[in-house]
Formats: sequence, C-alpha cells, structure tokens
Amino acid sequence: MLWHNFKYTLEKLFKNRALIFWTFAFPIILGTFFDMAFSDIEKNERLEVFDIAVVEKSGYEGSDYLKSAFEELSAEGENQLFNTHFTDEDEAKRMLENDEIVGVVTLQETLKVTIKSSGIDETILKKVTEEIVSTSDMINVFVTENSQNGQWTIDNYEEFIERVVAEARELIETSDPKIEDISSKNMSYTMIEFYTLIAMACLYGAVLSMTAIDDVLANMSSRGKRVAVSPTPKWALVLTSALASYVASLVGVALLFLYTIFVLKVDYGTNLPLIVVLSLVGSLAGLSIGVAAASILKADENLKTGVILAISLGGCFFSGMMGITMKYVVDTNLPILNKINPANMITDGFYSLYYYETLDRFYFDLVSLLLFSGILLFASICVLRRQKYDSI
Amino acid sequence: MTVFKTYLKILSKCKMPILLYTVLLVFFGGFNIQNNSGSLSFQESKPSIVIVNEDERVGLTNNLISYLEANSVVEDIELEESAIRDAIFYRKVNYAIYIPKNFHRDFLNGEEPYIKINSTGDYQASLAEMLLSRYLNLAKVYRTIFDEEEKMIEKMNELLEKELEVEMTSSLDTTAMEKASLYYNFTNYCFLAGLIYVICLVLSSFKNEGVFKRTAVSSTDYRQLNRKLLFSNGVFAFALWLLYVLLSFVLCGKIMWSENGLLLIVNSFVFLFCCLTFALLLGNAIRNKEAINVLVNVIALGSSFLCGAFVPMSFLPKSVLTIAHALPSYWYISTNEAIKSLEKIEWNTMLPILVNMAVLLGFSLVFILATNWISRRKRQLN
Repeated sequence: MLWHNFKYTLEKLFKNRALIFWTFAFPIILGTFFDMAFSDIEKNERLEVFDIAVVEKSGYEGSDYLKSAFEELSAEGENQLFNTHFTDEDEAKRMLENDEIVGVVTLQETLKVTIKSSGIDETILKKVTEEIVSTSDMINVFVTENSQNGQWTIDNYEEFIERVVAEARELIETSDPKIEDISSKNMSYTMIEFYTLIAMACLYGAVLSMTAIDDVLANMSSRGKRVAVSPTPKWALVLTSALASYVASLVGVALLFLYTIFVLKVDYGTNLPLIVVLSLVGSLAGLSIGVAAASILKADENLKTGVILAISLGGCFFSGMMGITMKYVVDTNLPILNKINPANMITDGFYSLYYYETLDRFYFDLVSLLLFSGILLFASICVLRRQKYDSI
Repeated sequence: MTVFKTYLKILSKCKMPILLYTVLLVFFGGFNIQNNSGSLSFQESKPSIVIVNEDERVGLTNNLISYLEANSVVEDIELEESAIRDAIFYRKVNYAIYIPKNFHRDFLNGEEPYIKINSTGDYQASLAEMLLSRYLNLAKVYRTIFDEEEKMIEKMNELLEKELEVEMTSSLDTTAMEKASLYYNFTNYCFLAGLIYVICLVLSSFKNEGVFKRTAVSSTDYRQLNRKLLFSNGVFAFALWLLYVLLSFVLCGKIMWSENGLLLIVNSFVFLFCCLTFALLLGNAIRNKEAINVLVNVIALGSSFLCGAFVPMSFLPKSVLTIAHALPSYWYISTNEAIKSLEKIEWNTMLPILVNMAVLLGFSLVFILATNWISRRKRQLN
C-alpha cells in the first residue's frame, strides 16, 4: 500500500500540467530570460576605451606634452583608455552633438573639457585630463625646485634643464604605485539571480507537497475521504505522499540545475557535494512549507497556494531575485527577516559557496534551513496526529 | 449597461494583480527616481569606497584619506572583513582601501609600503583606482623634492585641488529624463501584464461554453455584445494608462511637463493601443484560464527582459536586441530611449520616433486583423 500510494501520488503530480509548468518549466524559462538579459551587464560595467576629440586652438603655444599624453593613452594596448580624434573645433562639435565622442579637450592657455552631459565616461575624461595637466605641472615644480638647489651656470642652463626634465619624466614613468589587489575572482553578482531561481524552484516544491497531502486528508478532498476509510494508517499515507512530492520536487530542481550549469553556464563554486546537500535541504524546506500549509491552514486549495506563492516569491524578492540590492539592504538593515527567510537561506548558502573560502556561513545557512524545516514539520505532525472523523 | 456591469464585476476579481503591478511600478520606477536629483551643470561621478586605516591618521595618511573623502563617497559600513566583502560583492562599495600600519612613516622613509585594495572591477572602481594612483604617484615624486612632510603635503594639495574648466553643452536635464524614461520603460511590463491578464480573463468568462451558448440564444446581437466588450476593454485600458501617467507626474515631477515628458506620454498611449489589440487577440484565441496565467508571465516578463524594460537596452547583448525587433516592446522602449536624449523637436530628430510609433501601429493592425480572422473562424466552427 505504501508503494502504491507513493507511485500513484507521483503519477498524479506529474500529470498535473499546470503544476508541472510552474514548478518545472517556469524556473527554466525565467532562467533563460535572466541569462539573455544579464549576460552582458557586467562586461558593460567595466571600463572600456571610448572616443574623444582633442582640438588645438590656433595660437596655442603650450608644450607638446599634453598632446603626446593623449596619443600615448590612445595607443593600442593594455593601457589604452581613449580613441582620440585630433581634429578642428567644428568637426569636434559635430561629433559631440551626434554622440560619436564623449567629450572634447581643447588645448588652449587654460585647458578646457567640453562634454554633452554628466556621466561616468565624462568624469573619467575630466580626471585623466586633470592628471595629465598635473603631471605637466609636477615636472615644472620638479624643475623649479631643482633649479633652486642645483648646480648650473648660464652656459649650461639649457643642458641642466633638459637633464632635470628627463629625470622628472623617468621618475614619473617608473613610479608605479604599490597597490596589491586582493579582490576575489568570483565577483559575478548576477549569479545571485540564478541562486534565487534555485531557491524559488525548491520552495515551489511546497505546492507539490501541499497538493499531495491535501489528497490524503479527509477534510480536503474526496480522494482523502476514500483513503481515510482504508485500513492503511494515516501516517503512512502522509509520509508516502510527502516523499512522492519531495521526489517530484527534486526532479524539478535537478532539471533546473542541469540547465543552468550546462546551458546557462552558472557558476555554483566547486564544492559539488555541498551544493547537492544544500539543494536537498532546500527542497526539504519547500516540502515542509507545503505540508504545513496543507495541515495547518483550514482553507481551500487556492488560498493555500496563494499563501505558498506569497512566501516563496516574497522570500525570493527579499533574497535578491528582483535586484541584488534588496538582499544587501535587508541583510544589513533588517537581518532577522532574511535569517527566517528560507529563500535567503538557500541563496545565501550558494553565495557563500561561490564567494567565500570558508564554510562557516554555509553551515549556518544549512542548519537554519534544517531548523526551519524541522519546526514546520513538527507543527504539522502535532496538527495531523489523532485527527479523526466520525462523519464528514 | 449589463455587459459593462458584468465587466466591472469580473474586473473587481482582478484588483489584486493590478495592484501588484502598480506597486511594482512605483517601487522600481519610483525607487530609482528618489535616489538622484537632476542638474544642468556637470556632476562628477563619485565612486563608493571604504577606507580601513591601520595607520595613525596624521600627516600623509591623513591627507590621503581627506583627498579620497573629497573625491568619493565613503560608505558608512561595518569595517569587519566579511561586511566589507559583502558590500563589495553587492556593489554597495566599489573599492575598499586598506592603509597599512606605519604607512606614512615608511613612505616618507623612502620605502614602498603596499596598499591593499578590494575592488568590484567596474567603471566606478577604475575611477577610484585612478584617484588612489594619482595621489600615490604624486607623493612618490614630491618626496624626492621636499624634505619636510608639511611642505610636501601643501604642495601636493596645491596640485590636487586644481580643477579643469568643464563646459556642458546639453540644455536637457539628462538625469531627470533618464529617470522618467526608466519609469516609462517599466510600464511596458505593467501594461502588458495588466491588459493581457484582465482582458483575457474577462473574455474567457464571456466565452465560457455555458455563458456563450446562453448569450447566443438570447435576443442580444453578438455584434452589439462584441462592441460593448470592446468599449469596456477600451475604458479599462484608458483608465490604467491614465493612472500610470498620473503616477509619473507624481514620481518624476516637473520634467513630465516638458516636451520630452509629453512625448513619453504620447508614446505610452500608442503602446497601450498596441497592448490592447494584442490582449484582445489572445483573449479571443484562448479560453483556458490556467493558460492565461502562463501567458501573462511568459509574454510580459519575456518582452520586458528581452527589450530593456528591466535592464537598460545598452546593457543587452546585440543578439538579444536583434531578436527583440520582433516584439512591440522593443519599439516602445527604443522610442523612450530616443526621447530621453532628444535635444530639439525638429522633423529630422522626430523622424526615428515617428517611425517607431508607426511600427507599433503596424503591429496593432496585424493584431486586429488576426483577431477578426480568429473570431470569424470560431463563429464558423460554432
């Protein structure tokens, strides 16, 4: 009888097309949309070479240093920052109007930068131009200070200045700042979106378990009434139905995993056994929500589904599905909300496996999920035990 | 009136989804708007940084921190390692700078103390690195010239405080326009989801087999019924559009009274018409209420993700944008993007906008023809 109930519950769940769409297909479709929309977003946020124009005003008698600095920054290679067009004023104006360039640097007595609007490229152009000017000023200060202290005569002054300028340039060129980059290699924040998707799939399993449990409860369905009068004990029916829904939910999560790993190339870190454990426990949390909704809530199926969807989608929202900022804002300002949010426990577990080298945070999430599931299952058992009907 | 009353009765069952779409619009549209205030002068972008100083805050170290504070936004977060790492990952902070113990003393003694950094690697982080490198380079050169720390700092600040003259040519409040266009881009999702959901649900209720057969044998002319249903759907669509337009005036402010703002409204009206015709097509083709839920999510979310309603168009891959050409949302959002940077209203600047609107109307025409064809076919089958 146990096997019989398990088998037919599973079959019934898989034949429910709407249920299968929402638990199996919808997360895959959403994942595809995420991938299409987010695949270039991080690449576009990195500093890239952009077009500028440099205009030399007639009568400009400044040093060639400024012009050569822009040429240097436009030379193809690792350090290229700009694609510089050396042109006249009218052409530069036209290019700026047509958004062909970010800004125009006008070489005149006091250097000027012309831009169309405020923005990050414009700020970088301003800052780099300021740095070029300040380097030029730095050489002047270097020369002035050395002239005051140095050994020179009227005869060797020009030679002296040339030597000092060369010294200054060498000093500037070789003075690489000592900066040590300790940034993590795993910095892709869009991964969070996919982790919330896994969390959603795990928690959507609650709808499967709620449907399966409702089917064996006498107060919820005709089938429940029929099986209630059978000699099979209720615990066995509930247990096998819950197990069947758990298996169905795991199939959905496994399909989503395979799709995200092999098609969408989502990075879950390298610790495969822990990823599997987290998914199993995450699905258990989904199961416990469904069992609790079926047994504790005395309402029709639509309301129970509504409650489950509100918990799952609300949880995913707070764990960053509609923008990762939300997870950070809640984590830092209202941490208790995310500490009791199963979607966040799952998302945060994957995040810690991806980003952190240590496992403390992961185990905290895992234990939190187990506690969450344990409490809900215990509450459900308390409600379901000794629930008998003389007539219904 | 009976038809309209019944329409309103069914509509009242849909108030929760409509409310949800509106809340999402206010949250995502409004959230972006509150963070920035528009300006017509040049506003420097400032990276968000965090400074972990293990040195005494004196001399060169103090000056470095002051320089960084003046040129970036120093975030007030816990200086614990995991908190900093989280802030970096979630882009609250672009760049974390760790100043080592005895930095200023070692540096002035000619040593090369390393400054550790943790960075997001994006544009803002590059800007922060530029600031830090500039300071350290300058300090390295000046320590060879000046023996006294105070004089060196004074001379460094003279150079660092020099600002370039920046001229901004656009007379458009680009920040405010950016926010208004973001709001209208998001309405793509709300119009599509709201109209498809409500119209399909109403039409499927009217075309329910029992109701349909009862109406068919009644004295009501089916053409008249269809006209009334069309009118009711039109009224609902118009009310939804009016609500979102009024909300845009509240959330985006005075920019909505500008010519560009009014163009955004006109464009949204054209798109609304397109959505209405599309929803009518789906409503006529589908009677299964479960399928409606599926369609709402797949079509509204799909169009919004692929056409730039949730993620700016400039961040979408070219291949995705090529596919998006086949969807009305692409033309709607493209127009919003064009309006955003429209400096002057002239024939040549307006032409691409008018072409996009014409494409939307073309889509509407196709949907109307398809609806008529499906209705006729279904009547013949019945």
